[in-house]
Amino acid sequence: MIEFFADMDIIYKIGLAVAFIAIITAFSAVVRERDEISLLIIIDLIEITGLVVIALLATDLAEALILPGLVVGVAEIMAVSELWLVKEGLQNVRPVRRLDIEVLHTAPPIIGALLTAYGIFLTGFTGGLIAGLGLALFFLGKSTTENFLSSENASGYAWVLWVLAFLIFILFPSQWFLALMAAAVGIMIKVMAKIALVGTMRGDGS
Amino acid sequence: MMESILVTIPFGDMIHYLSGYTGVLFGFAAVFVLLAVISLPEKPVEIVFGTDGYSLKETPLNLARFQRFMAIACGIATIGAIVTGDIFNFTLFAAFIGVLNIGIVAAVKNKHVLSAAFSYGLVVMMGTVPLFAGAAIIAATTGTLSIWELAATGGVPVIAKLLLLIGVLGEGMAPFYIGKAEITRASGAPYILMIHVSSLLLFLRVVEILLTV
Repeated sequence: MIEFFADMDIIYKIGLAVAFIAIITAFSAVVRERDEISLLIIIDLIEITGLVVIALLATDLAEALILPGLVVGVAEIMAVSELWLVKEGLQNVRPVRRLDIEVLHTAPPIIGALLTAYGIFLTGFTGGLIAGLGLALFFLGKSTTENFLSSENASGYAWVLWVLAFLIFILFPSQWFLALMAAAVGIMIKVMAKIALVGTMRGDGS
Repeated sequence: MMESILVTIPFGDMIHYLSGYTGVLFGFAAVFVLLAVISLPEKPVEIVFGTDGYSLKETPLNLARFQRFMAIACGIATIGAIVTGDIFNFTLFAAFIGVLNIGIVAAVKNKHVLSAAFSYGLVVMMGTVPLFAGAAIIAATTGTLSIWELAATGGVPVIAKLLLLIGVLGEGMAPFYIGKAEITRASGAPYILMIHVSSLLLFLRVVEILLTV
């Protein structure tokens, strides 16, 4: 422990000490907390302290390591909070009223189609954003009884396409143009599906 | 440990490898993935108390399919944790195994099983902190995350090794929580095995890493 701290930068030492004080404080909060949902939130805070230790690397590598760490943390809190909802029986879905005015019957299909077509023409992240806005607008004019699962499926396949494109980049660098196009289309569909989901949110109607 | 290398898969300076030891672990995990692929869900038998009668509990098809998918994914994540030559990838695979274990257990709609899975989920989330912290401290002190290079140069601080071990302890804690599902005879029998397999192999692999670096 002593020789470990001896050959380190002084700033890194101070940062590590602060991070470990934060970790210990957060863990002592877990020991004292009894309410389950508060516990879940405190543990999500604890994960952030883990990311702080990674961030202390202070290089580009830190960024590359924080992103997967963050993704794992988000995946875990989503799984566990979903589990908590099932456990407590809080998953009742109530029907939701939608805003029933005439402009929501006529305008969304036209503007949505235009935005989506332009977004597909652009491809990539920007294209996905614009096409997604179009779809979100289109869904705003629809009732929530429709099956939105298919857009989530499309998002999953787009993710696979994106990963495959990266594999092509690594394994067959000569085919970089194919990989670039596949990645652009994949990220477009993915962003589009995610943004379109915003259009399906109506609150709980209470 | 690095003398008995059988196979290497280089990705830049990250050299994924199989030694005689990890090769055996790989084979073990592969066998259990195959078992999860081909086996049908067990039908738990319930004896009617005081009589000779008994009933077979049928597992719903969608539950069995979900658990089988989770078990196969968990097996593949375990294989990833065994093969990888990068400490950060190892920690990610360990965290991944934790999430998939939650998925296998939580498919069973039983209050006791769900609360056990919830407690395990909290432990998994806490376990990622020492895991990532250990990997980050290794990167900060030695400048690399490649097990191959760390084996040659050494110099991994003891505290980082300890943090890595504590993290794997957290992720591999599942068999202690899974008892609820097994005692209450919750359905999903062949797939729940994967939880034991993955945490056992995770422990065996982290021991190999800690002895190598």
